[in-house]
This record gives sequence, structure tokens and C-alpha cells, in this order.
Amino acid sequence: MRMSLLVICGCVLQCAFAETVLVANPKHAGTKLTTEQVAGAYLGKKVSLADGSVLTPINQTEGKPARDEFLTKVTGKSDAQIKAYWAKLAFTGKGDAPREVGGDADVKKQVAGNPGLVGYIDKAAVDGSVVVVYMPE
Amino acid sequence: MLALIVAVASAHAFAIDLQEDGSFKLTGFYNLTAAKVMSGIDQQFGLSDWHYQQWHCPCSIQNWEYVGVYEKDKGWQTTPESLVGVQLKKNFSDTFSATAQLVSRGDNTSFRPYTPTVDWAYLSWKPDADSPWTFQAGRKRIPLYYYSDYLYIGYAYPWARPAPDVYGWAIYAYDGANVTYEHELGSSGWSVTANAWYGNFKSKNNPYDTLIYDFTPGTTEGESWKDIWGGYAAVTNGTYELRLMSMQYRDNIWSNNADGTQTTLTDHVFTRITGLAGNIDYKNLLVRSEIDRFQQSANSPAKFVYDYALLGIGYKIGNFTPMYTFSRYRVEPSTAIFVEGRNTSMFSVRWDFMKNTALKVQYDISKDHSEYPYPFFGDSNILSVSLQGIF
Repeated sequence: MRMSLLVICGCVLQCAFAETVLVANPKHAGTKLTTEQVAGAYLGKKVSLADGSVLTPINQTEGKPARDEFLTKVTGKSDAQIKAYWAKLAFTGKGDAPREVGGDADVKKQVAGNPGLVGYIDKAAVDGSVVVVYMPE
Repeated sequence: MLALIVAVASAHAFAIDLQEDGSFKLTGFYNLTAAKVMSGIDQQFGLSDWHYQQWHCPCSIQNWEYVGVYEKDKGWQTTPESLVGVQLKKNFSDTFSATAQLVSRGDNTSFRPYTPTVDWAYLSWKPDADSPWTFQAGRKRIPLYYYSDYLYIGYAYPWARPAPDVYGWAIYAYDGANVTYEHELGSSGWSVTANAWYGNFKSKNNPYDTLIYDFTPGTTEGESWKDIWGGYAAVTNGTYELRLMSMQYRDNIWSNNADGTQTTLTDHVFTRITGLAGNIDYKNLLVRSEIDRFQQSANSPAKFVYDYALLGIGYKIGNFTPMYTFSRYRVEPSTAIFVEGRNTSMFSVRWDFMKNTALKVQYDISKDHSEYPYPFFGDSNILSVSLQGIF
């Protein structure tokens, strides 16, 4: 009984504090991005790496747990503030929000197939097809 | 109709794909605003009940471009500012796109109410997907002041509307071209954006000139801005932002007479508008400030210098953003026969209560400092409730 309770508690704790990480194509193994670079990327800037390559961010679909968790943590802005920011850019012709691709599996598939993309997934979903380039503090 | 849009907006993610490959998207925005003039007087003439032009005052002008005016004796009104807009954007490639924005307003004095107008229609091109340069041609709103080019995207700003004392001229769009340059300043976190535009715009029956300032029965007025040259440069690090703007054009205003003739009122007058905006978004603190000047040529029979400004401070508490904003405009007395001016205090709260939607409640206390030989809009206190969102 006690063991079951411990297992249940452990699962609840893990679920409540699910971590999201930013992943890229394995070509970028060893690259570590800063919070400023990642926050900037999800607010319209490209990420330029030392080797000259440019990373374009992709988003999970609205409603996916990883999306709110990652974006608000990294940018320090609420969902409404981020939406308002992108509405301003989208409706004045200054830019579009990062493309939405789906959930963890879709992000991994996109990133694994394109060294120019970077996206966030649940840490538990990381596998050999991608490398972690940023972990929110 | 707007209730349906709100329901759709809350159900859908931002943007609707019109083509499976995601290259043709429909997005939109809406503003449902109800406002009531609670009280008002004309201090200059000591009147509690008067008329200015077609309006029975106490009254309050909250939108100058389309002349959205609320009148106390009409109680709660929903048509002067409510609207819905859709944007269609087709990406032909990573570097070339076409965009059109149609807006349907509840009380559009230029056309039949609710008839959509083409507010924006332009092509956009970049030399390559990562280029700092973007070239556009077509019709866009003039990015005059900080909120000018997204004046109707209520979801993107804290108030029910940006201060009417600052925002609103007779002409607010241009047909022409523009170029944008964006650059990040190393690893400092600062970036700079510069935009330069050229164009012209003609409004044959202009509501601002006709309804607000034309006193001749049976006539309308038109206005055109020709040889519009403008530019702005903005620097930001995400917390602080500074924006400097300057624009010049030749102003023409004419009267369309009842007998079909036209009379020139303002002829090719050189006009310059300059502005400086400084904003802060530091943790939960918001600061919005602007100072602007409008000047017309000294040789013009209608020479004006208008100075106007706003300063707002807000604080985010959870999903609520209360804010106090002060705005002011004045015609410089030495530059005009009559002074027109106003001071306004705005108390607003924005509540982000639902995805993609914000509810705003705002109370404005506005004092008329004009010195016309007749009562103008006068003082007014107005309560506004706005539901604004995107889809």
C-alpha cells in the first residue's frame, strides 16, 4: 500500500513539474542557446549561430501543455501578452508568429528533418533524433 | 454577429487555414464597444445642453477618422466604434506574399454602415527569407504614431482605444510603397527597426472635414495628402522602446459644392508631423508616452501648430491591467485664429478573461480647452465597455 502511494505521489509530482526543453537537429550537438536568444526567437528574431547558420523557431499548436509552459517561462510574458504582441505584428505586416506544427512528436519530426528549425518539447520526449540546445531555468 | 465571432474565436486557434499547405490564412479581429456619456457641460458658454454640428451635446468624440461620436441623450451606444476585420494573407513563397484587410464598421460615415472597406491591400517581398530588408507596395495605414497602424486591433493595446486626443487625422492611410530594415545590435539584446514610406491618399468625401468642420449646408469636403514622405526608427530591448518619427506631405482640402463645383480651401500646403514615443514593459509595469507636433507652412492661410501628448502608467495584476493615462492636445495660440484643445484623464482596466479576448472598462474625464466663438464638443465624462479579440 505504502509503495503504491509513493509511486502515485511520484507520478503526480513529475506531472505537475513537467519540463520543456528546446531541441534542434543533431547537426547542432554542443550548441547551447541563452534565454535571451530563445526569448528573442519566439518574439520574432532569428537565432544566428557562430557557424553562420540561422535557426527558425516553430511552435506547438495552441492548447498543447508544452506551449504555454515553455513560452511564458522563457519570455516572462503571459499568454495574452504574447498573443497581443503577435497580433500587432501580424495585422501590420511586420511578421508572423512561429509556424504551428502540432505536439511533441510533430516538433521532433520537423526538427530532425530540417537543421534550420528549432522547437520545444516535453523533456521526457527527447530521443536520439534531436539534441537539447536550451533548458529553461 | 459579433457574439458568433466571439464563440468562434474562443474555439479556434489564431488563424484559419484556407489552403491545406498553410500558405493561405484568414485571421481577424473584432471590437464590440458600448459607451455612454454620463455627464458633460460646455464651460466656455456655461451650457448644459447644446448642439455642435449634427450632435446633441453633452457628447464625446472617441474616433476622429470615422467620426465616432457618443451623445448623452442616446444612452448606451454600440455603433460608433464597433467593428470586425478580416485579414487574408497568401504566402506565394518564403519571400513573397499578398495581404488584404477588410473592415466592417458599425457606423462608417463614408459608406453604408457595415459595408466592408479595404483598409489594407499590399504585396510584400524580401530578397531572401533571412534578409533584414522588406519591401512593400499597396495600401497600408500610415504608421504615424506608435499605435497608428494598429489602431483598430484593440486586443494589442491596454485601453478601450488609444487616446483620441493624439490619434486621429482626416487621412490615415497611403497608397504607395515602403521599405523596412531590421537589425540586431550584436548580443546586446537591443534591436533597431526603421521604416520609410512614400505615397498619396485622396478622400473625396471626407467625414472628418465634412462632419466636424464644414458648416455650409449642402456641401461636403474632401482632403488629399500628396507626396507623403515619412519614416520612423525604433530601438528596443524588449523592456524599453524608443521611437522617433517624421513625416511630411502636401495637404489639400476642398469643398464639394451643391452645384457640382469645387472650392479650394487648402492648396498644396506643406505639412510636417513629428513624434517621439517612449514605452516601458518592465515585469508588471507598463509605461506609455508620446509627444507629437503637427505644423503647417507659415505661408498658408490655414497655418497651424498642434502639440499633443499622452502619458500612461499601468500595472499587471494577474489577468488584470489597471492603468491611468493622461492626454492633451492644443493648437498653439499664436498660429491660429481660434485655439482648439483638450485634456483627458483615462482610468482603464483590461481583463484577459478568455483566450484571444480581452474585456476593457474605461472611464474618461475630458475637459474642452477650445476657444471657438461657439460651443464645441465641450467637457464630457464617458464610460466605455469593450470586448476586443482576435481570431
